[in-house]
Amino acid sequence: MSKSVRSWAFPWLGLISVGLFGFMYLPILVLAFYSFNDSRYSTGWKGFTWKWYIAFLNDSRILNALANSLIVALFAVGIAAVIGTLMAVGLAKYHFPGKRLYQGTAYLPLIIPDISIAVATLVFLAAIAIPLSGGLIQLSLGTVIAAHVVFCLSYVAIVVSTRLTDLNPHLEEAALDLGATPDQALMQVLLPELMPAIVSGCLLAFVLSLDDFLIASFTTGGGSSTLPMEIFSRIRTGVKPDINALSVVLITSTGFLFAVAEYLRYRSDRKRSA
Amino acid sequence: MTLPIATRTEAQAPPAWLQPVLMLAPAAVWLALLLVIPTGLIFQLSLVPGIRPGQVVNPSGLDNYIRILQPDYFPVLTRSLFFALGTTIACLILGFPVAYWIAIKVPKRWQNLVLLSFVLPLWTSSLLRSYAWITILRPTGVLNTLLGKVGIPALDILNREPAVLIGMTYSLLPYMVLILYASLEKLDRRLLEAAADLGATPRQAFWRVTVPQSLTGIAAGALLVFITSMGDFINPEILGGASSMTVARLIYNQFLGATQNWGFGSALSMVLILVVSLAIALLLKYGDRNAAGGV
Amino acid sequence: MDVSSARSLTRRQIMQACLAIGTGLMLPGCGWTLAEVRPALSKGNKDELSIYTWESYIDPELTETFHTQTGINVTADIYDSNETMLATFQSGKGAIYSVIYPSDYKVAEMIERKLLSVLDHSRINGIDNLMPEFQDSVYDPGNQHSMPISWGTTGLIYNTEALNPGPEDWEDLWRMQAKLNRKMTLLADFREVMGATLKSLGFSYNSTNPSEVRQAYQKLVQLKPAITTFTTDAWRDRLLAGDLILAMAYSADAVRLIQENPDANLRYVIPASGTSLWSDAMVIPVTSPNPDAAYEWINFMMQPSVAVEVTRRLFFATPNQAAYDQLPLPLRNNRSLFPPEAVIQACERIIPLEPKETEMYEQYWTKLTSG
Repeated sequence: MSKSVRSWAFPWLGLISVGLFGFMYLPILVLAFYSFNDSRYSTGWKGFTWKWYIAFLNDSRILNALANSLIVALFAVGIAAVIGTLMAVGLAKYHFPGKRLYQGTAYLPLIIPDISIAVATLVFLAAIAIPLSGGLIQLSLGTVIAAHVVFCLSYVAIVVSTRLTDLNPHLEEAALDLGATPDQALMQVLLPELMPAIVSGCLLAFVLSLDDFLIASFTTGGGSSTLPMEIFSRIRTGVKPDINALSVVLITSTGFLFAVAEYLRYRSDRKRSA
Repeated sequence: MTLPIATRTEAQAPPAWLQPVLMLAPAAVWLALLLVIPTGLIFQLSLVPGIRPGQVVNPSGLDNYIRILQPDYFPVLTRSLFFALGTTIACLILGFPVAYWIAIKVPKRWQNLVLLSFVLPLWTSSLLRSYAWITILRPTGVLNTLLGKVGIPALDILNREPAVLIGMTYSLLPYMVLILYASLEKLDRRLLEAAADLGATPRQAFWRVTVPQSLTGIAAGALLVFITSMGDFINPEILGGASSMTVARLIYNQFLGATQNWGFGSALSMVLILVVSLAIALLLKYGDRNAAGGV
Repeated sequence: MDVSSARSLTRRQIMQACLAIGTGLMLPGCGWTLAEVRPALSKGNKDELSIYTWESYIDPELTETFHTQTGINVTADIYDSNETMLATFQSGKGAIYSVIYPSDYKVAEMIERKLLSVLDHSRINGIDNLMPEFQDSVYDPGNQHSMPISWGTTGLIYNTEALNPGPEDWEDLWRMQAKLNRKMTLLADFREVMGATLKSLGFSYNSTNPSEVRQAYQKLVQLKPAITTFTTDAWRDRLLAGDLILAMAYSADAVRLIQENPDANLRYVIPASGTSLWSDAMVIPVTSPNPDAAYEWINFMMQPSVAVEVTRRLFFATPNQAAYDQLPLPLRNNRSLFPPEAVIQACERIIPLEPKETEMYEQYWTKLTSG
């Protein structure tokens, strides 16, 4: 069988694919190259240096922005994990009038472009929330977290509901028959089954939240920039090599985290099939 | 598929509606407050021409929408559509070989790893990756330096449309590959074998078996790339120049940029939502026809 | 997602859209005010000061010195045009800033919109140090809301090797368009760019005559294919690297780049037919969470020794007479920094416009950048 399949794999396919792999990693290699290059503007190699990394580590604005981004992502994903999972499970279990509408609204953030969501949220906050709350609510990291929860819960919900369709429907029933209360059935039977999907959805939402520029730009208050906002502002004012150092640090740490996550998933998959 | 609805048999059972409400209400409230109501608000704002913060809102007509259709602003829409379509086509042309190679040629045990390593750049900041293209595409950047060594004159790519297309394609290619892979992975190899037995050439088999079988994947990938690139702000802003205004940039300028016209910006946002919904509707209509026709 | 559920998704979307529209129309009803800026309700941390300023004013040494003197931590956020600053401020994001650095005409606009608090002159030292022409101004009579901190001109900085002879006036941009093709940038500020074009046509920098403004717009449309991008700060690295050979720039930025890179063959020229004479001022917005720290900062910047440093390191022309007297001779004689009287006479200040006129400018600017 493998012989006839191989006759369909056009010979130049491997070459193109390898080429495109190179295309994908080219910007990253370029960033790494220039992060060690001892020159501000020149394209050529002018010597090896760590100074951009040192500059980046001493840069309190960037580190602040990084901290803000992480705070926003952690809180938004945390909240979204809970209410998103509850929503997905609820939608799978119950029927009620308006369910279709609810489902449509729940998955809307996946479809509407970021900028429209950002604009709508800003208008809402500026026009209603702030005046109505008498100044209790201000544009700040809190409003960014609130805005991020919206799309995070959609992503968590869709990943979880995909997994729910694959689940054995009788597990919970079996638990109830064995005398568990509905809450126990939920927490101790359903939740562990859903855990890989929840983690998967959370990871996806986390990365998207860290990477978000538009929604954060529109909904944050002055002074609490997230990392993408800070990077954007520096790109606007010219190309500076310490951003290269920042990118290499970010890429290696994300890659590392990703590798760890994949390894854990691989191990848990093997444990299950064993 | 529905999960069993658990019920208690004890005497003091809480009302049956309690659990569903507790499960569904938090998300509902959040979505209502931060998605539904805001969308309604910007619709109301879009009906007020020339409003800026501090002014009173009095919906008065479709002036903002009419303005978008004027020959001065309509190019912005068409340019966004051009970028979106161009990116979609580029991603399809480039993404299909990679997805096909991984799904069909790479041995099963390595497929996951290869796929994930192709997609890995996606998990790093998209801003930084677009920024890297500045260094590559600058007049004195990496690309032109390399071309210069081979004797080719420098290309003026940065701050023009080609740079934006390259940036957008680069950003969205991994998504396309992921979706196409998911579709191609389910391809029944026996169909290909059967085609070979019936005397089809590889090319014929490709167009008559592979492509029709992966049509849903192609459609889903194209839709995702199209929608995301329609609303893309970063790539046109960083890699584009004085003549690369897109809808997303125009909207941004109305709120956080030089010209402060929240009404016009809201109208543009509504138009963007409309275009995206149209794309989805078109796709579903085509998908419906396809499914009905049968393959 | 199979087709039928996907189709119902579209139906849901339509219903959802109707729901949203219905909700929107029902909401507060017509006649609500969009995003009012209100005075601060609470004081911020008294050791923190947030300023909102141009990129060129950011100087870590300065904030260090200030911190040593007063114990207050300064954080700064950046904007690249006055309009962006106002847009951010009015969207409600300006609530944490205690000091802002608007340009003169923007100060007038902000005063009109009641965004600035009145400065208590008794709390500010060194007002007498200001040069006579800065003691009073047309845009803020008696300096009641603002304290001038710098002034300068807008001009062209170019690479003398690539452009020889170089441009001397705005008109040269059009004349040398072929040579400058795709290697020049203009400022991201529509008053400056439109004003410069109006000047090249022989009109006033601040013209509000619709036909004149339209001519300026059309002239810019001619030039547009040669413009790489509109930017206020990003031209610096590109000019040094050779990607650009000309940029429209503020005198302070241009002089600083030339002084820091003497081997780069750059020259700053003030266009002969006249350009805009700008001055930046420090203001305290009504929403300032820490007015006390704001006054400390203003006093700090008004100190002659500090003003000298600002000119020496950041190359802003100072309006502070006492500071000017302390400047080293080469700086005082730097004609790009302190132009001779004749040149200043030919310059115009940008004056604030009526809302209708601003809208006209904005529409042309959006048209120009959208085309």
